[in-house]
Amino acid sequence: MVADAGMIAIGAGIAVGLAGIGAGMGEQAIGAAAVGAMAEDEKFFGKGLLMTVIPESIAIFGLVVALILLFVFNA
Amino acid sequence: MLKPTKMTRVIIAGTKSLMEPTIATFHRLNVLHITDYLEEGADFKIGKPLKPASKLSEYLLSLRAISNQLGLREKESLLKQSSKELPSQIDEKITKLQKEVSSRFDELRNLEFKIKEKEDLASAVKPFFGLPLPLEAYMGYETVKVYTGYIDADLELGLSKITKNYELFTGEYEKRKIFALFIPTAFEAEAQKLLQDERSYVELKVPQLKGNPPVILDELTKEINILKEKHASIKSELDNIKKEYSDFVIAADEYLSIETQKAEVPLRFATSPNAFIIDGWVPSRNYDEIEKELQESTGGLVYLTRVEEEVKEEDIPIELENPTLAKPFELLINTFATPKYREIDPASVLFITFPLFYAIMLGDVGYGIIVAAMAVLIKNKFKTGGLNALALILFLSSILSIIFGFIYGEFFGFPIFNVGIYRTGEIKHGILGIAVPAIAGIHIPVHRFESVQSLLLLTLVIGIIHILLGLVIGFRNQVIEHGLKHAIFAKGSWMMILIGGVMAIAKLMPAVMSKLPVPTSDPVFAVGGGLAIIGLVLLIMGEGFISILEIPTLLSNVLSYSRILAIGLSSAGIALAVNTLSMNLFIKPDGVLMGKGVVLALVGVVILFIGHLINLLLGILGPGLHSLRLQYVEFFTKFYEGGGKKYVPFGYNRKYTEE
Repeated sequence: MVADAGMIAIGAGIAVGLAGIGAGMGEQAIGAAAVGAMAEDEKFFGKGLLMTVIPESIAIFGLVVALILLFVFNA
Repeated sequence: MLKPTKMTRVIIAGTKSLMEPTIATFHRLNVLHITDYLEEGADFKIGKPLKPASKLSEYLLSLRAISNQLGLREKESLLKQSSKELPSQIDEKITKLQKEVSSRFDELRNLEFKIKEKEDLASAVKPFFGLPLPLEAYMGYETVKVYTGYIDADLELGLSKITKNYELFTGEYEKRKIFALFIPTAFEAEAQKLLQDERSYVELKVPQLKGNPPVILDELTKEINILKEKHASIKSELDNIKKEYSDFVIAADEYLSIETQKAEVPLRFATSPNAFIIDGWVPSRNYDEIEKELQESTGGLVYLTRVEEEVKEEDIPIELENPTLAKPFELLINTFATPKYREIDPASVLFITFPLFYAIMLGDVGYGIIVAAMAVLIKNKFKTGGLNALALILFLSSILSIIFGFIYGEFFGFPIFNVGIYRTGEIKHGILGIAVPAIAGIHIPVHRFESVQSLLLLTLVIGIIHILLGLVIGFRNQVIEHGLKHAIFAKGSWMMILIGGVMAIAKLMPAVMSKLPVPTSDPVFAVGGGLAIIGLVLLIMGEGFISILEIPTLLSNVLSYSRILAIGLSSAGIALAVNTLSMNLFIKPDGVLMGKGVVLALVGVVILFIGHLINLLLGILGPGLHSLRLQYVEFFTKFYEGGGKKYVPFGYNRKYTEE
């Protein structure tokens, strides 16, 4: 079971890591555009933040998968 | 609370002779939000500024220039000057100041320029210390070309190939070789080429001066010193003027700003040849006061009335109204968008949820205390404005963080209380060395790494409640704006999907995990599933089939709250890593204090300090931003539209002058 636990941990790590990279790639373009919009009109802050964090849910999905791996399959 | 201040639209009309007292009254009351008059008609035109306007702004302009030249900044507390005495002094004092300050200021600039010039010259002379010639020896030849500069290579060999008829002086300045070459103009081209091929060659320009370099430098230094003395004396004169007049300049600036504001406000009125009309808004609670004051100051000759006519919601100015403690959270609302008049103002909801989320994430007694101290410092430094509000928010959040720190039993990542490790069964000893008895069935401390599963569940429950609250507020907003039917389609359907979905999934998940059949006979599952389906049907009826695409968003919204746990875990994890690293490796290896020598123990202390500093910075940013995000993205999107206009009353908050 030790090897299995290790594999599960690696899997969890990959889930979080790749999800994070994906979210980051999504956010970079939106973030840059949001900052640009804000430079023109500060009122865009709220909307800009909203748009910027939309891809972040992907990272959260990765995290949830990792937690399920660790605590459901490891038990 | 929850609703913006109730506003009343008012119309004020009177004859032009009464315009000035009317303006003065409203300016003093500081409650009237004026709607600009824009459409010029045949009968009414946009008003003209009062007579003194141009003179006043002229004074203001010169005053600002003077205060710039003096380098004056605003001060915190000052003697308040009476605005009765100020006007008589303004003309005389400003003229005087203008004369004294600007001439001195110009001279100062002039002197600075001269000093710079001399200093440049001095630094150009210095390299020629290395050569034995007076400066005039380098110039004024007709048939001889002179090259001077730095060079690393030996020139003799190259030169001997061109001609024997030359003279070369070499020397050193600050460890760099310097040379002066005198060569007939006939060989100019060859010499030029020789020098340019040499990479280390840097040309030096000979300053247009006469005499030996050390003598010249001496003279220059003397001149510079004289100039500097002059500069200092003028500067001190200016400083004296600044000291003497700063109170006046600051107070006069405020007085003139106020008077200019008053003089220019008719630009926002509608006027006919003999009358004026002001259209605007006042908080309803102030109406009686205004009526009374206006009656007194104009003898009842100016007409004031309420307008009950329907107006566009966007045109009503918004003043948020909240209890003192929730007031700072208006900053977060306004950063996102100003609410519309009939919308719920969620500042008092944020007052509870923002610090709560922050605290669940940070949850450390040590960090909490430091953040609280920082908040108090910022609050004392900035008495008003955004930073003050932010400090208050931070303070509330940090106090709650300390409380959660006790629940988690963490002090800079060290355990406070004894805690049993669930997997190995061993007991970790905390700082206080005591165990806490279970309170109401919950064992304190709730060790974060040991109870990830239950904490995850807790965060999701928090998320569901938070989103549901958002939907309830959204339901209320929809009822007000579009009626009950629309509200049920738009928000009620989502509530059903959320509640029903949660009920169904709560029963479905355990069954799927333990590979049991779908629990169709379970009443909770059946009711939940049914509710979700009804909600779905309502949603499609209200918003069309495309709205099905929105359903995964609801799921991701709920899951998004797991960040509350995730941020907390990462912060606690970094603290634990820093502590373990410095304790086990340097400070107390194998349980012996300084077991590996003093130096390594010091390294450990440095690691401990820097690690916690970084974690603390992350601990302010991370929880703050993510707590805010949960409000903005998950909560606000359920009900908040925004787009209101801010209430900006006509008036001024006097700081340095009195009426």
